[in-house]
Amino acid sequence: MTPASQLRIAGGTVYDPTNGIDGVIRDICIEDGQVVADLPPDAPTIDVKGMVVMPGGVDLHSHLASSSCNHARRLLPEEHAADPAPAPRLASQLSRSGSGGPVPSTFTTGYRYAGLGYTTVFDAAVAPVMARHSHSELDDTPCVDGGFYVLMGNDEYLLRQIEAGERNRARDYAGWLLEATGGYAIKIVNPGGIEAWKSGQRNLNGVDDALKGRGITPRAILETLADAADSLSLPHPVHIHCNNLGVPGNSAVTLASMQALAGRRAHFTHLQFHSYGGPGWSSAARPLIEYLNSHTELSADVGQVMFGPAMTITADGPVEYLLHKSSGRRWVNIDIELETGCGIVPFQYKDKAAVSSLQWAIGLELFLLSADPWRVVLSTDHPNGGSFLSYPALIQLLMDRTARDEKIKQINPKLLAGSALADGLDREYTLNEIAIITRAGPARLLGLQTKGHLGPGADADVTVYAREPDIAAMFASPRYVIKAGAVVVEEGQLREAPAGKRLYVRPGYDPALLPDLRRHFASYSTVAFENYPVEGLA
Amino acid sequence: MTDIRTEHVTCLGCGCGCDDLTVNVRDGRITEVDPPCPLARAWFGDGSVPDEVLQSGRPVPLDAAIEHAADLLSAARGRCLIYLGSDLTTQAQRHAVTLADLLGATLDTDTSATAAAGILAAQRRGRAGATLGEIRNRADALLFWGVDPVQRHPRFMARFVEPAGTHIPGARSARTLIGVSVGQDQAPKNVDITIDLRPEEEISALSYLRAAVHGRSSSLEPPRAAEFAGVIDRLAKARYVALIHDGEPSAEPRNPLRVEGLMALTQALNEPTRAALITLRAGGNRAGSESVLTWQTGYPLSVDYSRGWPRFVPERRGRDALSAGAFHAVLIIGSTDLDPATSSDTNSIIIGPRASRSAHPPSIAIDTGIAGIHEGGTAYRLDDLPVRLRPILDPPRTTTAVLQALVQAVMATGARSRA
Repeated sequence: MTPASQLRIAGGTVYDPTNGIDGVIRDICIEDGQVVADLPPDAPTIDVKGMVVMPGGVDLHSHLASSSCNHARRLLPEEHAADPAPAPRLASQLSRSGSGGPVPSTFTTGYRYAGLGYTTVFDAAVAPVMARHSHSELDDTPCVDGGFYVLMGNDEYLLRQIEAGERNRARDYAGWLLEATGGYAIKIVNPGGIEAWKSGQRNLNGVDDALKGRGITPRAILETLADAADSLSLPHPVHIHCNNLGVPGNSAVTLASMQALAGRRAHFTHLQFHSYGGPGWSSAARPLIEYLNSHTELSADVGQVMFGPAMTITADGPVEYLLHKSSGRRWVNIDIELETGCGIVPFQYKDKAAVSSLQWAIGLELFLLSADPWRVVLSTDHPNGGSFLSYPALIQLLMDRTARDEKIKQINPKLLAGSALADGLDREYTLNEIAIITRAGPARLLGLQTKGHLGPGADADVTVYAREPDIAAMFASPRYVIKAGAVVVEEGQLREAPAGKRLYVRPGYDPALLPDLRRHFASYSTVAFENYPVEGLA
Repeated sequence: MTDIRTEHVTCLGCGCGCDDLTVNVRDGRITEVDPPCPLARAWFGDGSVPDEVLQSGRPVPLDAAIEHAADLLSAARGRCLIYLGSDLTTQAQRHAVTLADLLGATLDTDTSATAAAGILAAQRRGRAGATLGEIRNRADALLFWGVDPVQRHPRFMARFVEPAGTHIPGARSARTLIGVSVGQDQAPKNVDITIDLRPEEEISALSYLRAAVHGRSSSLEPPRAAEFAGVIDRLAKARYVALIHDGEPSAEPRNPLRVEGLMALTQALNEPTRAALITLRAGGNRAGSESVLTWQTGYPLSVDYSRGWPRFVPERRGRDALSAGAFHAVLIIGSTDLDPATSSDTNSIIIGPRASRSAHPPSIAIDTGIAGIHEGGTAYRLDDLPVRLRPILDPPRTTTAVLQALVQAVMATGARSRA
């Protein structure tokens, strides 16, 4: 930050969709880490004439700071060795070296997100009992504000409340878990399916399939937690990874899940992985995106597949077992403490492979057929569909039809019959729409009032791009990134690496829950109730 | 004479990380630990630790010692070893890795002398594991391979095997215990099925078991074949199998293929049923050092920063290179059996509990408290689950604070910019 804590970003072309500003030349004024209406004329100034100014990027679905990510890191020494990350030369602070690859070390992750112009990132899947670990990793992930979503859709205590018809207690438990973990939102992964995997039933495939002997269905889990998120007034609705990820024909359960929540707010994540027709591989993007287009209470991120190395990391244990069996690749499975699971398989998406090509095409169909960019936002489910470093290439595919058509010619066309992409979609995203799907939209879906826009009172998180004919190059290397008022990237180089802020909620709960919850801990937990909550959150 | 009782205390006497202890303190000394686990009693002791800061054996102020340590380390930039003992909080481990990065040091931990074989095997083939709560609540068949937890994990059976679980309402009687002894590495005595293997039979037995899980026959000799058929039958019929082995050195010279064979067998068992491998670890925060190293460097052990970024050097571990005289300075953090005196022209610094009582006095010794007794924070259980540490006594000074100050002092020498 400049000594006066003031900065004028002068003369750029501003894209601030939240405030209805679409490519208008104006100054952005910053004071004490916030955007303000104006500054004295002698305030320090950065001249960005001719450049594109947007709010800092907001990634609402990434895997960057969890015990599962760390298991994945440990599995990839060869990827780290191939991508060493020397310490950047920072102006005033300790800087750290690290290693890259699909799951970079923490400091490198923070630097690289900032280098792309992202200033807020959420880890989308944290086991409650591992929350302490995620906070430690986030403490070592500089430059970005961040938090995480708490896995609840296979939690034994929650399932018991659903089984007993105790939906209010389920809601209070969700509130208690969010407070105990310092989490931001409720996450459901494969509702009931992970418990099925752990208890010998292997998986649940439809919304009305029941856990054996218990009568608990994905539908009941989805309804209970969607209602809990609403009733606790959480800023982000329930964040859902549906049953049957990655399996042909899974669009049926995806659509049924959307219908099950009719009228309720819900976010469907990495929709691409849940948009497959069946019984063979085909695209079912159109019916799903059309349903989403017409139901404004629902939102999604795409989970685009990008060709190249990836790392699949998910709480969805059964899907990783299938991927291991079909690919023969290394496989990690960790069952976690009556709460959730963890599966890991390294992967590579190849444009010569029919299924990878179909997945790539389906993601683009979802983007290009979306009627409302505010509700269908950008993700690669980093690192599952590809690294966050591939966002610029993805933005190019969305903005540049010529580049997209060139790529379509190179991919394996075998499974593309019936795909809208193969029939030709000529839409090109505008810069304003890109600003929506990469910052304004995710911030709004997360309920972050001070993120994703540049109006007075907003956090001073700003990214400035130099216009280039090569859109991927333009978005890969912003000229300036300002984080909470500090110039983090200057002339394309990382200069500062301030610690990020932790984003979490305190939704409250009815303490009448506690006696029963203590009994449950005493009977079954291997961690003391009193030691379970994380301590010391600011 | 006032007694101060602290509840929900975590014990790092072994890798179980039990966090349900009550500890009584009277006049600054620990007088009682409940439940009275022998390992916990030994680990807590009376909680007294020395409080000295020594340079060449003479008392000096802490600031001076830290400044001198920073000078010694910075002068040895690129030729430093930083070695982490097991009794450190995760917070202290994070600062230790920071130092290694700044100094272009080689970073090694107690892990490289103990559980490294299993960690490297898991990198080659993955693994199927679980946290201990899953074992307690689901495992209806437990196979102990060459280990009896009673010796080094006294409460393991009482906490994770004998109680009822959500999916095991019948408690111990609803579980089948299988003990496979390998030479001197004895399995528990009170089990339902027992097999005694000679060490030279072990690896072929693991291969046989894996083949049988896959439904293939093999040419095992008749008496063994019948024994194993019973085991396979029980495992395949179980709903959830836990395989339990020891990650630390034990009586029998360890065939490094054992751990890989157990990992392969566990993974294979996930075809007919569900299965997880539990690796028993010794006390302290061993799993935590692997966790911290992994998130900060990408690698769980044996990291070399001398080129300016972390490189994985599991074949050239720091503790071996030290005795070969590869380093100009060594910084030992925490308690370890590593002897810094193996190389006489190496400056040595010890920061940790009882540093001043080291058998071979180092150039600088800074006494600190013990993680979990004098220092709060986080430690990881043997199943990689992070647990809270509640300090029960005041420390002479915390390792974390000393390391934080040392990081600042090293930065003040401009170590990085001389890279």
